[in-house]
Amino acid sequence: MSSRAEPLGASPLPAEGWATEWVRLTAFAYRNLIMARRNVFFVFELTFWPGVAMLSHGLLTRFLDLTPEMTAFILVGTVALSAVQVCQLDVAYAVLFDIWSKSMKHQFLTPVRIHHLALGSWLVGVGRGVIVWALMALIGGRAFGFDFIGGGPLHVALFLLGCFLTALVIGMLVCALVVLFGTRAETSAWAAVNFFVMLAGIYYPISVLPGWVQAISAAIPLTYFLDAIRAGYGFPSQFAHPFATGFALSLVYVIIAHWALAAAITRSRRTGLLLKLSE
Amino acid sequence: MPVAPLAVDARDLAKTFRSGWLRRRETAALRGASLQVPRGAIYGLLGPNGAGKTTLLSILATLLLPDRGSATILGHDVVREAFALRRRLNMASGNASFVWSLRPGEVLSFYGRLYGLHGRVLRGRVGELLERFELTPHLKTEYNELSTGLKQRLALAKALLNDPEVLFLDEPTLGLDPDVSIRIRSQISELRRERGTTVILTTHYMREAEELCDRIAFIKGGLILAEGSADELKRQIRIGDVIALRLEPAVPAGLAELPGMLSVQARGDRLDCTVDSAEKRLPDLLKWLCDRGVLIRDCQVREPDLEEVFVELAR
Repeated sequence: MSSRAEPLGASPLPAEGWATEWVRLTAFAYRNLIMARRNVFFVFELTFWPGVAMLSHGLLTRFLDLTPEMTAFILVGTVALSAVQVCQLDVAYAVLFDIWSKSMKHQFLTPVRIHHLALGSWLVGVGRGVIVWALMALIGGRAFGFDFIGGGPLHVALFLLGCFLTALVIGMLVCALVVLFGTRAETSAWAAVNFFVMLAGIYYPISVLPGWVQAISAAIPLTYFLDAIRAGYGFPSQFAHPFATGFALSLVYVIIAHWALAAAITRSRRTGLLLKLSE
Repeated sequence: MPVAPLAVDARDLAKTFRSGWLRRRETAALRGASLQVPRGAIYGLLGPNGAGKTTLLSILATLLLPDRGSATILGHDVVREAFALRRRLNMASGNASFVWSLRPGEVLSFYGRLYGLHGRVLRGRVGELLERFELTPHLKTEYNELSTGLKQRLALAKALLNDPEVLFLDEPTLGLDPDVSIRIRSQISELRRERGTTVILTTHYMREAEELCDRIAFIKGGLILAEGSADELKRQIRIGDVIALRLEPAVPAGLAELPGMLSVQARGDRLDCTVDSAEKRLPDLLKWLCDRGVLIRDCQVREPDLEEVFVELAR
């Protein structure tokens, strides 16, 4: 340390307001962006896996000699899975980075709230999700003639927003699991999304699922977003107002996931896991 | 006399950690600890490993919820008003860790944003702290590649981002070179002197506690066993004064049986005689030695140091 005994700048903490809220929110976006820039595996998440998924599924549709509509039906699912996966990972990173580096306590020592943590990292997830979608649309269009704006730009924008809201919910639930169970729950960050998209009818209409599973599918927002986007490719919609229902359900789940993460953090403070995750 | 306002007022804090699913294990980390720290004081928590120091500090820093008892920091309840409080306190620990691939400036910028700092204020504060803790030459180094001393300095810099009114330091000089420890201690003193920051620190180094702290609490088994200034503690524990002698012959027979003699210990060519009061016993002791023709080569009286008090309490 310097031998100069100068006092710290006397600038007081700014008053709390919307600007401060926004600054706290962008803290997580700032960190996720730095990590994304510095780590080669993040490039893999963004390009390699989505690229491989689009090519392998596209080739499968060619081998099965599917019509352009059926090809779109399958590839829409491929795009949805990749976009949701990438975006929800970013939300989960808000906690996972600290788990891996054992620095959990520092962020919970600050006046940070759940929405700062979740929305800040979600913003980066949305950005990365859009890049994934654009890349897959490009590969799909060039290689397999996949019309990526089949239902019109607004349709696609609403579909992507739905995917990203689903990612926010899954990401927050993953954060809650990790805060509750520590590194043991870490794999849920990669596994959870596959479970949800399977139930949401990723490569098939949910009518092929057993009746009781269909009831579960009907409770998942992504089911409605997939239904809505596929309607743009000429498939009959199974629901009356799929986008409206999907967004309403998403809102409910965002509230539930927020509560679950807050409860998990409180429990972690009570059990001492929050400290153990920092040792 | 006016009573100094309290920065910390903790009453009867208790915390038990539970682990295991089938075989439930319980560890009582705190069993009713109370302490009061005036504003602007440097307060030390001493105790053996597992005594409950870090648990107590973590409850006060709003990282842990107590099972029982209450605590206020700057008049705010640490459980009910934790969010508001976090703007006004901070913490650094000796074994701190940050996200491995962030660089020092990025670590500070991230946490600075969480404290609501932005724009020019954030850049100014980060630059100032990097300079103050001599981290500027390491701006391009990722956290994982910093030395232990640099990591510790970064942890301290992070703890000053929000200019905290109450600062918790958990073994801040753990594992550091003596020269770095000395500089960190001087930074802590400076903080109190210049900013009026209340500092509560845990340490295993008695010299550190004696040098820095206005008051010290000894904690063991989740209970505060003794509390006071270093001098008060030495008197309170009544482990006596030490008369260090160099004699010929080295250990005269019958010395240990003299009135007021608590113990006699040979340390090399020196003899440490612990007596209940040096003032009272020294004349008689010297006379007794002279009467027996013992040659006194050296005689020094010293108070017990804090380490001896610690050993006595930790026993």
